[in-house]
Order: sequence, then C-alpha cells, then structure tokens
Amino acid sequence: MKASKIRTVVATVVFAVLCIGLVVGVNLGTLSGFGWNDIAALCPLGAIATMIATKTFVPRAAVSIAIMAVLVFFVGRAFCGWVCPVPVLDRVRGFFRSPKKRRQLEERRRNEMLGIARGEMGAAGASAIDAAAADGGDAATAGDAAPAAAGAAARTGAAQTAGGAAAPAPAPDAAAAAAAPAKHGCASCGGCKQTRKKLDSRHYVLGGALLSTAVFGFPVFCLVCPIGLTFATVLVLWRLFAFGDMTWSVVLVPAVLVAELVFLRKWCTRFCPLAGLMNLVSRFGRTWKPVIDDAKCLETGKKTPCSRCAMACDADINLRHPDYGERTLADCTRCRACVDACPTGAVSMPFTFKKDGATGQAKVVLAKGEESSAR
Amino acid sequence: MSEDEKVGAHGADAGTGGAQEAGGPAFAGGAREADAAAGGAQDAERRRAKEPLSVSRRSLLIGAGGTAALLGLGALRYAGHNPLVRPPGGQDESHLVSACIRCEKCYEACPRGVIVPAHVEDGLLGMRSPALSFDDGWCDFCAQENGGVPLCVATCPTEALALPEGAVAQSTVLGLAVIDEAQCLAFRDTGCRYCYDACVEAGFDAIELSTEGANPQPHVIEDKCVGCGACESVCVSLKAGSIASGATKRAVVVRPLETLE
Repeated sequence: MKASKIRTVVATVVFAVLCIGLVVGVNLGTLSGFGWNDIAALCPLGAIATMIATKTFVPRAAVSIAIMAVLVFFVGRAFCGWVCPVPVLDRVRGFFRSPKKRRQLEERRRNEMLGIARGEMGAAGASAIDAAAADGGDAATAGDAAPAAAGAAARTGAAQTAGGAAAPAPAPDAAAAAAAPAKHGCASCGGCKQTRKKLDSRHYVLGGALLSTAVFGFPVFCLVCPIGLTFATVLVLWRLFAFGDMTWSVVLVPAVLVAELVFLRKWCTRFCPLAGLMNLVSRFGRTWKPVIDDAKCLETGKKTPCSRCAMACDADINLRHPDYGERTLADCTRCRACVDACPTGAVSMPFTFKKDGATGQAKVVLAKGEESSAR
Repeated sequence: MSEDEKVGAHGADAGTGGAQEAGGPAFAGGAREADAAAGGAQDAERRRAKEPLSVSRRSLLIGAGGTAALLGLGALRYAGHNPLVRPPGGQDESHLVSACIRCEKCYEACPRGVIVPAHVEDGLLGMRSPALSFDDGWCDFCAQENGGVPLCVATCPTEALALPEGAVAQSTVLGLAVIDEAQCLAFRDTGCRYCYDACVEAGFDAIELSTEGANPQPHVIEDKCVGCGACESVCVSLKAGSIASGATKRAVVVRPLETLE
C-alpha cells in the first residue's frame, strides 16, 4: 500500500473518529482542541490568538504551544500530511476534475520539472528550458552535468536579453543573479530559481491574522479556519438532521470552506497561517527529512532527467533541485510521496538529516536568500 | 493555468502591490526596489504580456490581501451580535468572544447536550460560539455528573468559559425566564403547571402560582430565577399546537439578561 493511500486513510479515520465523538459527546475534542476531557492539546495558532486577544497567560495554551513546537521540530509539518482534513478535501476536489484536465495538469507539472532538471544538468542552457516549457519536447535528454551555478548564470544572461530594458540587474554577485529571474515574473512557472526569503506569503497571512487579533481582540482567523469549518460543517449538518436545528449556518459554513479551497488555490502552500507557523519551527528540524542517495539517483548516477520526486511532492518542494521548488525542506510533511515516486529507490527518510548532497545545497541557497533579503 | 488569469484579475492589484513595495522596505529586497521604481508603465506592459506573477510579488499580494481580509473580518467585533444565553462561565460576553477559538469541546463535554453552536442569524461574530438551548434539557451546573462543577468550564481549554472563585449555580445568573402569557396554557385556565414543578424540582422555587383565575397561573420571581432552563425544557405549549397556533417559541423562554433592560 502506498503512503499516499495510507495517509488519506489515516486522516479520514482521525476525522471520522473525532466527528463521531463530536456528535455522540465522547469529548475527544476536535483538531482545534484535541484531548480527553480537560486535558487538551490546543491548536497552536488558536492558543497564541486566544492569549493575544485576552492579554492573559493561559497555562493550557502555553503548554500546548510548547508540545506542538517540540513535535514540529521533530516531524515538521507531518500534521499537514497525515492528520489535517483539508488536504483530503483537496483530494476529493480532484475527483471533480475531468480526466483530460487532470492529465493536462500532470503533464504541465512533468514538463516543468523535467525542464528544470535539464536546465540544471546543463544540457543546453536556456534553450532547453524554453523548449521544455513550450511543448515538453525532448531537447537534449542528457548532457554533462555542469555545475549548477553555471546553468543558473547562463539562464540569467538569457533572461536579461529577453527582458530587455525592463531588467537593469547590474549587480554581478550571486545573490542578485538569483533574484533577477524572479523580476521577470517567470519564477512562478518553476522554470527559474526561486528567490529565497525567510518569510513567505503564509507568514504574511499569519502576521495579518495575529495583527487583526491584537487590534480587535478576538481570534479572527478561527472564524474562517478551514480545519475548524470542516468540523463545524459536520456539527451543523448533524444538528440539522438530528435535532431539526434549521439555520443558515448549514449553508454558510460549508460555503466558506469550499470557497477557500476552490478560490484560494494551493491553500496549504500559499495561504495557511498554521502551516506558516509550523514552518517557523520546522526550519530548524533535522530529523526524518528525505535525502537522495546520489549514487542511485537517475539524474546524478545515470545523467538522465527524472525529477519524479519533485513531481510527486504535494508541498511544492523540489527535492532534487531544492532551489527551484516553491518551498524548501522546512515544509516537508513527511508524506513519503517522494520515497514512493522514486523509480530507483534512491530517496529515503533517515532519522538523522545529514547535511550533504542536495540538502546541503538547500542550506546554501537559503543563506543566499537571507543575504539578498537583508540587503 | 490560473496564474495567467490571476494577472488578469489582479492587474490593478499588482499596481498597488508595486506601490506598497516601495513604501515597505521591510518586505522589499534590493532587486524589488528597483522593480517598484520602474513604475506603472512596466506593470501595464506586464498585463499586456500576460506574464505570470513573480513569486515575491505574489507573496506580497497574498499577504496584503489576507491581512486586509482578516482585518475586515476583525471589524465584525464592532458589528457585534444578538445577546445569547451563554453556558456557565460565559457571562462576561467580551471575554468569551475574545477567548473562544470555536474548538467545540464544550458541546461534547455537556452531558445534557444543552450547549449548541450559535446561529449565524444572531450575528457573524458569534457564529459557532457556545450558547444554551433548553429544548431537551437544562443546566444544573453538572450537579449530578460532576458535583456542581460544570464540565464545560472544566473542559474549556482557552478559559473562555471561566467561573469566578466560589461561583455556584445559585449565584450565577445565566438568564431570566420570561413567560409569554399569550401562549401559556395556564393562562387559558388549563391548569398546566409543568414549569412550576420543574422549578421546584430544580431547587430554585423561582416560579410562584397565583390563584386569580379558576386555575393557578405561573409567575417568575425575578430575584430567584437564575436562568437554568428547567422550566423551558418542560414547557408543552408548542406541543399543544392546536391551542398555541402561530407560536415559534415555547411559552416560557430563558432570555439573556441584556435583552431585558
């Protein structure tokens, strides 16, 4: 059984058990406050928000935050991959796509990742990227693995000529070169290196949520939190059918939930402040992160573009070429999709995270990003 | 995919984003400042070319949009909501609203199932916050189940429901029972006295029977009523629908104190 199936089953079972507890009154709580009777592990974001809003120290909230911080330090965003009902709902949404659309999306992602792989392996510089992005054509399947820096430099040069007058980019140093492609707006296609910053969009949403909580004095985000809304949907539906409790909440609660998942695409990667909060701790984690055995990997071993680990990642991490993914290994949900996807079994998730190979590269790029944002 | 659409839809926003970048050096890296300096003409060019958003620009858009949306949502605090009968420990309304994270543990904890999520009809701010509904039971502060310490208060992980030291059922006023004499069966000389009996049984003796008519009629003694809901939970006025036509609520209803002043 593949990890993706197990994950869906685990998340569904957890959700089902908590829902049954909710409707029959077992008092297991929900994911916002999970635990038996008065022992409850609170949602860390809710715990912070409630303490900010009431300006008081709540012991149980503080303990919850500490426990969550320790857990996240060791298993990163595993909650997102294994327990949270929102990715499962997103998967359900996938069923409503036509097979054609689904194939298109897969094909696009495949081409994108292969393009990156080819470019990074130094096949033909920028032209390989263009060709791959345009039609996924197999311009130069293999080549001598040039150093990553050279590939990036070549592309930056190409981008400058293409961008013309709009791109001044006079700075010769590496940080500026990494930032330049982003200026042309091509970074979102994944074809260029990402500009790394310490904070991303989720941290801004998190900041907004806490700011609003501080200004208005109540946990604002809790009103629209998709995890809370998922359980609320079950509760209002149950109350409707079991007690005839008629209210517009029955319509509004699921409507807000669906709107968030449909209109705010990639909720988990780009919007979720809870994920942002976990990222703040998980970036320091060193355990159970996926690593590639370079000897077995097709790209480093056989010089064949592959990048299936990058295609498989739900968290938008590019394990093989970390500086191209939208997110870094700090956002790894330990979902094991990359382990399953690897055709040669080169990806593993050892307990200790060794600072070498691809992962070492990630560190370097992160450091560069910090440099550029600091300037 | 929708990256292109996003540029179309948020073209105007992208311009605003650029302005904000210039104003917010906290977010802006060196390259981004140069970008902002290039100005609106470049933005227009980008719109025409339908280039996708850059990552940093998108982050800023999401951040600014998310913050604006959450601040707008926060303004609901001023919109407020209708007063509700709250579970024990939730009588300080502003504290409850501040501390409740809608974790739904109190609904589960209540052994009598009288805690329900508030309806959106009573206001967006209070939606899903705990309220009392005495349809099928009443609140005795878990005297039987937990020796007089309400389980909802014990359970609440954020202390949104928190009773003052030494608070007991007799000293905590949840609301006030109000009898609708137009609907009440006793006022039609039926001799109904369910609410009176329930109140006696609950140990409050907050309903007295007057003997003005042929049959006794209940009256609430306001000083004694704590709003436990025992009377409301046994009121049969709605079940006797043929008499009480047009009624949507029971003849005796516990109302929040705020609505009575």
